[in-house]
Amino acid sequence: MVSIDIETEDGQKEALRRMMLIRSFDDTAGTLFADGEIPGFVHLYIGEEGVGVGACAALEPDDYITSTHRGHGHCIAKGLEPQSMMAELYGKRDGYCNGKGGSMHIADVDAGMLGANGIVGAGPPLATGAALSAAQKDEDRVALAFFGDGAVAQGQVHEAINLAATWDLPAIFLVENNQFGEGTPVEKQHNLENLSETAEAYDIPGFTIDGMDITAVYEAVQEARERARNGDGPTFIEADTYRFRGHFEGDQQPYREDDDIQEWQSRCPIDSFASRLVDAGVMTDDEVESLRAEVDEEIAAAAEYAQNADEPDPTEAYDDMYAVSVPELTMFAGRSVRADGGSPTNTDQ
Amino acid sequence: MGDRSTPTVGVIVNPAAGRDIRRLTGGASVSDNYAKRRTATCVLQGLTLAPDRIRALVMPDRADLGQRLVGGADDIDADVSLLDMQITGTPKDTRNAAEQFSDVADCVVVLGGDGTNRDVSTTIGDVPMVSISTGTNNVVPTPIDGTVAGAAAGLVATDVVDIEAVTQRHGTIEATIDGKAGSGTVSGLATMGLLDRPFIGTRAVLDVSEFVGGAVSRAFPTEIGLSGIAGGIQTCAPDDAGGLGLRFGDGPDADAHTVRAITVPGVVNTVSVSECVRIESGEPWTVSIDRGVVTADGEREREVSDAEVTFTVSDAGPQIVTIPAVFQQAVDRGVLSMQPIEQKR
Repeated sequence: MVSIDIETEDGQKEALRRMMLIRSFDDTAGTLFADGEIPGFVHLYIGEEGVGVGACAALEPDDYITSTHRGHGHCIAKGLEPQSMMAELYGKRDGYCNGKGGSMHIADVDAGMLGANGIVGAGPPLATGAALSAAQKDEDRVALAFFGDGAVAQGQVHEAINLAATWDLPAIFLVENNQFGEGTPVEKQHNLENLSETAEAYDIPGFTIDGMDITAVYEAVQEARERARNGDGPTFIEADTYRFRGHFEGDQQPYREDDDIQEWQSRCPIDSFASRLVDAGVMTDDEVESLRAEVDEEIAAAAEYAQNADEPDPTEAYDDMYAVSVPELTMFAGRSVRADGGSPTNTDQ
Repeated sequence: MGDRSTPTVGVIVNPAAGRDIRRLTGGASVSDNYAKRRTATCVLQGLTLAPDRIRALVMPDRADLGQRLVGGADDIDADVSLLDMQITGTPKDTRNAAEQFSDVADCVVVLGGDGTNRDVSTTIGDVPMVSISTGTNNVVPTPIDGTVAGAAAGLVATDVVDIEAVTQRHGTIEATIDGKAGSGTVSGLATMGLLDRPFIGTRAVLDVSEFVGGAVSRAFPTEIGLSGIAGGIQTCAPDDAGGLGLRFGDGPDADAHTVRAITVPGVVNTVSVSECVRIESGEPWTVSIDRGVVTADGEREREVSDAEVTFTVSDAGPQIVTIPAVFQQAVDRGVLSMQPIEQKR
């Protein structure tokens, strides 16, 4: 059963709510980062919400996803809690990775979210591995890899697709073509206009969809999942989308024009879907605005929670690094990490 | 039409054609841009079959497909250049190029699917179209070698064949929507329908059992989709007056049909048609739906709710070149043999 049934009116409302939740989370994260509240970097998913929610809605709850450095949207789409996500951004103990991962490394294996990733193109090999695991265990689970147009030029992505195709693994490779690899336009990165033509090299289906339309993504992933679970192998989907913000917060964006941004913003996946639901009589304008306000409140509460949450205990800095401890780590057991980044000190002294 | 002193052929290659979900859900052929460029190069080579040197104007595009085509045409005995136009990377490019060609070209060659041909037909006026299939549904365009298609275009452009005799005036369809979400119109070339599905989604029509009704400007069993379904009941040539109106589902009366048809590339279905009747040009054919999508030429185009959709067929569509007829006339007129047949005998 799909995670959100967009064929039903309740499902349509939930899909809209989930997209709004991502928008509000990332708007808030951007503001908090600008205020110096959040350490590290943040890469916002604003503008691409239709891809994450459409794809995760079509997956079953037990399915896996792998994410990218722009992963907040994928997490919320897969059902992760904004409160624990925000705590992770703040580096707090209650975060999904106990505050050790931050924005680019949120993971929740129980929810099938195998991790955001700071390395471009690192997700597809993980998805192929998860798909291999599902196939070996004869489980009805599919692994979907989100990755960007820049990652399509990475070698390991092709290795992952090749292996999944060769072994008919239940995987879906979903390129979020947001038109730029950092600051480089997609046409200057690739010789292919349609990145989905990559599929032909691996003898698997590949096609391109409008990633600004959640219904297109939902339908495409549903079909790809059906193929995967039938043992027919992976599918390559290219979703054309656009990030409304810079590559990272603070990016001056000299590589694109305001007119282009406005053109894509006029196709905002949230506003356009909300307007379609109003036209179809599923919701009223007032109900859409109430939903938006409700979501904003939820995210504000998540931010407040994260601000007030406990800092991690320095003595736990080396916990959670390996499933089975390695000898190199035992020497640091019980030692704290110095705030200035120097060598660990033994708290017993 | 163009300046007769310089026979001109417009070339439109849609880089986005043939990349939709029917590569997964059906058996739609895969046409990558390298293959499209090779086919288009063959078109340019084919133009040299014409007795006069041809000027070829190629639509530029965001994928640089047209630009590369022109860049690689140095050894072709034709004046090949790019059409001067703004590139948007959207279907507007096709319509804008066709509009310019309507003023300057004697013939236009289109590489794409039914959707691309529909876009061209909206602005091309009376310039004859040679359509090569590199898309999906393929009711209008022909799967044919690019050289042959280019040669046909060259013969038409140089006026050595009787254009009226080698072209068919294709019909068009317009859907007028009167619904809760407002009114509006959507245009189609060969087929239009109303689908019982809430969203546009991936655009392609995936399941014909969701059709409530529609209209076609042509019908024959070899045509994939709505016109193939209608064509299983009664045929209608592209240049016949009017078209056919359809309603789907198990009809209550004896006029209902159960049709075996090719509904999507790679898919054969049994379809229940409650009504399939001939409609005159301009005669309204109305279908109602609570929530659905209007389709045009195999693609979902407009979401509607509480709507009455009225389809109207028009006979004043684009002039489509019948390729075998061009060559038959060229032979009959001795164009290819350089001397009259009587002298050879």
